Amino acid sequence: MEVLERLLNISLVVATIRTTAPILLVALGGSFTTKAGIFNIGLEGQMLVGAFFAVIGTIATGSPWLGVLCGVAAALTLALIFALLVVSFKANEVVVGLALNILAGGLTVSLMKAIFGTRGSIFGHGLVGLPALRLPNVKDFGWFGQIISGYTPLVYAAFLLVPVLILFYNRTRLGLYIRVVGEKPEAAEALGISITRIRYVSSLLCGLLAGLAGAHLALGYTTMFTENMSSGRGFMAVAILIFSNGDPLKILLGCLLFGFSDALSLRLQTLGISSYLVLAVPYLVALIALFALSYRSRPRVIQETLASMGRALSVKSNTIQPAAATDASKP
Amino acid sequence: MSDRFDSLFGQGLAILFALGLGALVILTVDESPVRVFVTLLNGAFGSPERIAGTLLQTTPILICGIAACISFRGGLFNIGIEGQLFMGGFWATWVGFSFNLPPALHLLLAMAAAVIAGMAWIAIPAFFRARYKTNEVVSTILANYVAILFTSYLTINWFKRSGGQSETPPIFESAYLPELFSFSRLNWGLIIGLVLAIGVYLFFTRTARGYAVSEMGANPKFAEYGGIDIKKQTFLVLIASGAVGGLAGGVEALGVHHRFMEGFAPGFGFDGVIAALLANGNPIGTIFTALFFGALRSGSLLLEVDTTASREIITVIQALIILAVSAQITIRRKASDSTAGERRWKF
Repeated sequence: MEVLERLLNISLVVATIRTTAPILLVALGGSFTTKAGIFNIGLEGQMLVGAFFAVIGTIATGSPWLGVLCGVAAALTLALIFALLVVSFKANEVVVGLALNILAGGLTVSLMKAIFGTRGSIFGHGLVGLPALRLPNVKDFGWFGQIISGYTPLVYAAFLLVPVLILFYNRTRLGLYIRVVGEKPEAAEALGISITRIRYVSSLLCGLLAGLAGAHLALGYTTMFTENMSSGRGFMAVAILIFSNGDPLKILLGCLLFGFSDALSLRLQTLGISSYLVLAVPYLVALIALFALSYRSRPRVIQETLASMGRALSVKSNTIQPAAATDASKP
Repeated sequence: MSDRFDSLFGQGLAILFALGLGALVILTVDESPVRVFVTLLNGAFGSPERIAGTLLQTTPILICGIAACISFRGGLFNIGIEGQLFMGGFWATWVGFSFNLPPALHLLLAMAAAVIAGMAWIAIPAFFRARYKTNEVVSTILANYVAILFTSYLTINWFKRSGGQSETPPIFESAYLPELFSFSRLNWGLIIGLVLAIGVYLFFTRTARGYAVSEMGANPKFAEYGGIDIKKQTFLVLIASGAVGGLAGGVEALGVHHRFMEGFAPGFGFDGVIAALLANGNPIGTIFTALFFGALRSGSLLLEVDTTASREIITVIQALIILAVSAQITIRRKASDSTAGERRWKF
């Protein structure tokens, strides 16, 4: 009982919210590309450069907000290269995504060594994190106040983005276009929607949020940059995107699961369980969720992605295929 | 033939383009590109020892590259070779230090352990890919993290050498993979890699079964109509790929380190994947791309001594090469107006 009390209390909820935020931001970013029919394995790298340049920007300007801007700009650059190669050059999305991840890893370490003469991590040098927001009158809410107050702004942004994205996909023209391009590219073509333009826009929106996720990792979640600090969160986000099909609400649920397992595993460490096993917990949760849910939902995202890529490529020769034929190919 | 020449020419141009971009990156970190490239060359081929060092780095990249080729041929992405390598390395070492057996038998059993560990580590992702089409890219990547942490856990919590650092006891000499020359740790692993490359190449080009796998990679629908059991074949291709990935770990453990430790063979699995991509999934081509990346790696050791650049600059160059080649292939495809979007593993 005592063990349970040590594990489960309000501070675990707070820790869950904290650990959920970075992965939620990057996964919501990935929802744009997923919805637009792009399999984006490059989230990891975008997040990493976001974190690195957020730190560089903050040290250079003294303002963490300008740092966030730098981080986002860097992630957007990577997203633009991704879109250029995948959308315009029609290069393989897995290959380009992986290469950009490797590029991000190598570039951040090389630049760290060149600028600071060290490898490993950057802290100090006048690095300041984002301020925590204390909501007014939270005392009146008791434990609930404890849960909702005192986070850095990007944590609130992450959770507020969930309803915003739901509205975006259901109520705005761009959101609708993105979904059409992802689900029925031939219909998009027939409606006169530019598939290329929509996919560029979603790649860049994705880069924007992935950059914010990275900036949050370096300036909110911690106040430092560490070599490879995204540590697979981008890949976990891709796993979530596969079984959530890019739906914001399902993404939130998936991310809370990861945030919780992350927070819980940090607690387990205090009980004397090997840190190596504890650190593996989030990855295992991702794998188990991926396998368990693929049994039920099947990877519609991937299949449709591949099918729609194929269709997008061959769309010029045979403009519109009957929708029934493509539906029949689904399991 | 001229098509192949064209492709090689294009590939070469792309690599030059990437090296040019790499030079720009080197300039931004305040180092002279010429000095970096000369140091890389000197570090990789400057003396017989250094050449042997390059080949030593080439060996695991080559074997991992072949593992990647096998999956690419079948239209699958095994990005989890890093994890299979760690598992293979650990369990080969375990057999190496736990039992005391006659020389040839001991080595053989340790190698078998590596292969089985690699197969076991990809079995679950392979099953779900085959049965439910669960995306293997993500599942194998996530499995990498688990494998690296799990082998560290086993090493430190169960098999740590008393008084040593984070490493297992050394293996018995009966499990050593013999060295080729007296002046280097270069060992029979390289020969294993070369034979494997040729064997896998012949398998895909000369046997019906290999042809069926390529067929599946090129056009799964067509292959299915042709009577190929896609599920079974998908599973087997991934298992074979994992087996070779595990073997790479065994070679590294039994031939080079003779023990298992934290941070064992970092990045070889990923380098192998890139080498295979650059060779377009051709095992023979992978021999050369692996040599190229092995040279970069071994040259980068000197880089940190002689220049201010960090050795990670070579990862940047590798990534740029892959990006340049992936773009170049589409340019060529557009120019020749051939059918776009063919094999999934092509750039």
